[in-house]
Amino acid sequence: MPEKQGWAWGDWLENVAVPILAVITALLVGAVVIWSVGGNPLVAYKGMLDGAFLKKRAFTETLVATTPYIFLGLAVAFGFKCGLFNIGAEGQFYMGELAAVWVAYNFQTWPAYIHLPAAMLAGIIAGAFWSAIAGYLRGAFGAHEVITTIMLNYIAIYLAAFLVGMKGPMRDPRASVPQTRPIANSAILPRLNELPAIMQHPAVRVGWAIVFAVSVYFLLKWWFAKRVTSIRRKQAYSGIIALLVGVALFIGLAHLTALGGPFTDPADRLHLGFFLALLTSVFVWWLLNKTTIGFEVRTVGANPDAAEYAGISIIRNFVIAMGISGALSGLAGAVEVLGLQRMLKSFFSAGYGFDSIAVALLAKNDPFGIIASGFLFGAMRNGADLMELRSGVSKYVIGVVQALVLLFVAAPVIIRWLYRIKERRGEKIVITRGWGK
Amino acid sequence: MDFATFMGLLPSILSSALRISTPIALAAYSGVLCERAAVINIAIEGMMLVAAMVGDLVMIYTGSIWIGVLGGVLSGGLLGLVHAVFSVSLKTDQIISGTAINIFAGGVTGFAYRRFLAMPSIPRPNPSTLQPIHIPYLDKIPVLGNVLFQSRPILYMMLILTFLIHYMLFYSPWGLRTRAVGEHPEAADTLGINVYKMRYINVILGGLVAGLGGVWFSLEQVGHFDMLMTNGKGFIGLAAMIFGKWTPFGSLLAAFIFGLPEAIQINLSFYFPNIPYQFLSMSPYILTIIVLTGVVGKALPPAADGQPYEKG
Repeated sequence: MPEKQGWAWGDWLENVAVPILAVITALLVGAVVIWSVGGNPLVAYKGMLDGAFLKKRAFTETLVATTPYIFLGLAVAFGFKCGLFNIGAEGQFYMGELAAVWVAYNFQTWPAYIHLPAAMLAGIIAGAFWSAIAGYLRGAFGAHEVITTIMLNYIAIYLAAFLVGMKGPMRDPRASVPQTRPIANSAILPRLNELPAIMQHPAVRVGWAIVFAVSVYFLLKWWFAKRVTSIRRKQAYSGIIALLVGVALFIGLAHLTALGGPFTDPADRLHLGFFLALLTSVFVWWLLNKTTIGFEVRTVGANPDAAEYAGISIIRNFVIAMGISGALSGLAGAVEVLGLQRMLKSFFSAGYGFDSIAVALLAKNDPFGIIASGFLFGAMRNGADLMELRSGVSKYVIGVVQALVLLFVAAPVIIRWLYRIKERRGEKIVITRGWGK
Repeated sequence: MDFATFMGLLPSILSSALRISTPIALAAYSGVLCERAAVINIAIEGMMLVAAMVGDLVMIYTGSIWIGVLGGVLSGGLLGLVHAVFSVSLKTDQIISGTAINIFAGGVTGFAYRRFLAMPSIPRPNPSTLQPIHIPYLDKIPVLGNVLFQSRPILYMMLILTFLIHYMLFYSPWGLRTRAVGEHPEAADTLGINVYKMRYINVILGGLVAGLGGVWFSLEQVGHFDMLMTNGKGFIGLAAMIFGKWTPFGSLLAAFIFGLPEAIQINLSFYFPNIPYQFLSMSPYILTIIVLTGVVGKALPPAADGQPYEKG
């Protein structure tokens, strides 16, 4: 190595550089693993890349796989911000799926603008309830959430197996395999290729145009707040632009097919959930950094003793943080059922629980970073099949790579040593605490 | 069912419970060994899973169950070493290091399963499980003989380990040093105890014990490796350790209690066909949560539990 001392990277650069180097290093070690069992790492990784990105549909499938990772990564990160380790994202995800699908296949007569939000809300509430149990037990009895959330995972899995299983009350009696009835049309979260048909109804277009126009209006007013002094001009500018956006959307939404791509490809499964996940990242960022709830949660996470001294209730914040964390996981389940699966099959573990921890930590619990790390994990998940097909290397090798990513991110000492990166001062963050405290 | 039938089934329930509690107890002992030296080990689940897989693989390639057991145990110890390197030397967050090992275990066992084990006919020794050992004379004792003295080897080892770890922990110099390192590492360091060395030894020992718990699944219970066959028993073991107040005998009792619902399910489901099996399957996990809420009194973990030691 030419550099003896190493050089000091900026804070921001370090936050990005270490995770990226961790991923690269994990992939290199993964290559050695693949090679050692007689596979060709180049063929394998080329297969993974092609499987994740080569064709347009491969890319949108990657976005489909990314969607739950973003939600669940946000969920885990929110817990971490309060000093809570939510390993139960998977169980909360199942509870969200169960509640959402139940609402979605019942109540067939409800109109879509009530039914879809109701189904998503059901998922959110179920996930929040499931995790708030763990938050409350931690706050009130000191029962550590690492164990309780894992136990709640297993309970959720068996509960789902019972409800949807052979003799379960939610099973579709007409289906030969254990699964629920398909959800009502009024509760689907549209895929992009379903949007053109939906948008043919003028009333739907008017609705969306108004929603977007109003959002644009308030966003602009906020943006102009510091830049334009006159209140009247502020309102006039915002109003005119919002009106234009509304009219443009009313006309434009009818012509989505002209855009082609995922809007017309009938096999494309990309659904609005992905965009909802992006919006949720912004929302979580706002919640954490711009609200009292976020401030209290972060204070408890940083120093519970100081928080309590300052009059912040620890139990309350444990329940809130855990509840919001579970709400995000439940929303992930709801989106998966309403946008992608459209019914619930009697299932086995999807393996999201531990992956989502790696997603959150790789992004250092940053809501926007989670979009990137979720995308990485989604791409790996989606590309794994083609990798297995091309190279004969089992797709489970991805799990090994993901574990290495997590280890390298959690022990940046290794990455710093490997790449001679200097440690910045004062960045020691305690992520979790022992059983008792 | 009437009372007499139930009493007739009781020895069978108790022996099932003890059998099922074996991996839970071993996981708990693994936790005791690590946490008495102040290293939290939530990787026990992953260590057991890897050991179950390695045990089966080694048995297939050597044709000997006992070499399989040895291989599994050693693989647990190796993962213990990994956990020690990260949590003791590199001072990684211990729960995250454990989580990474759990993810790794899921990946590597799935990988190996697809590559080596998911084939229609693999030459395994026949039988491919460890066989029960009847202890002469003792196995004739009415109820107790059935419950205790007609068991398979890893169960006996688990029982012996209970006494051994208890004795070592509370009556040997090693145990005194371990507890010192777990309660007050600075003081222990001042007295010339090598904190890092003690933690390394204990976490590796914990890995070996977890490995023994892992091979129970593949080589004592089932006879081959299945995907994710440990099914959360490692985590339940951690709860048993907490419930057992970080002592071997307490852990054994807790593991036995956690084993009871499944034992009842196995023995009584025939009489109650209308209760969905999933409810009994989830009962150990519910029980674990209830127990953790401290219905049974609070215990304090070792004072330095979970904190990396920085040499002053």
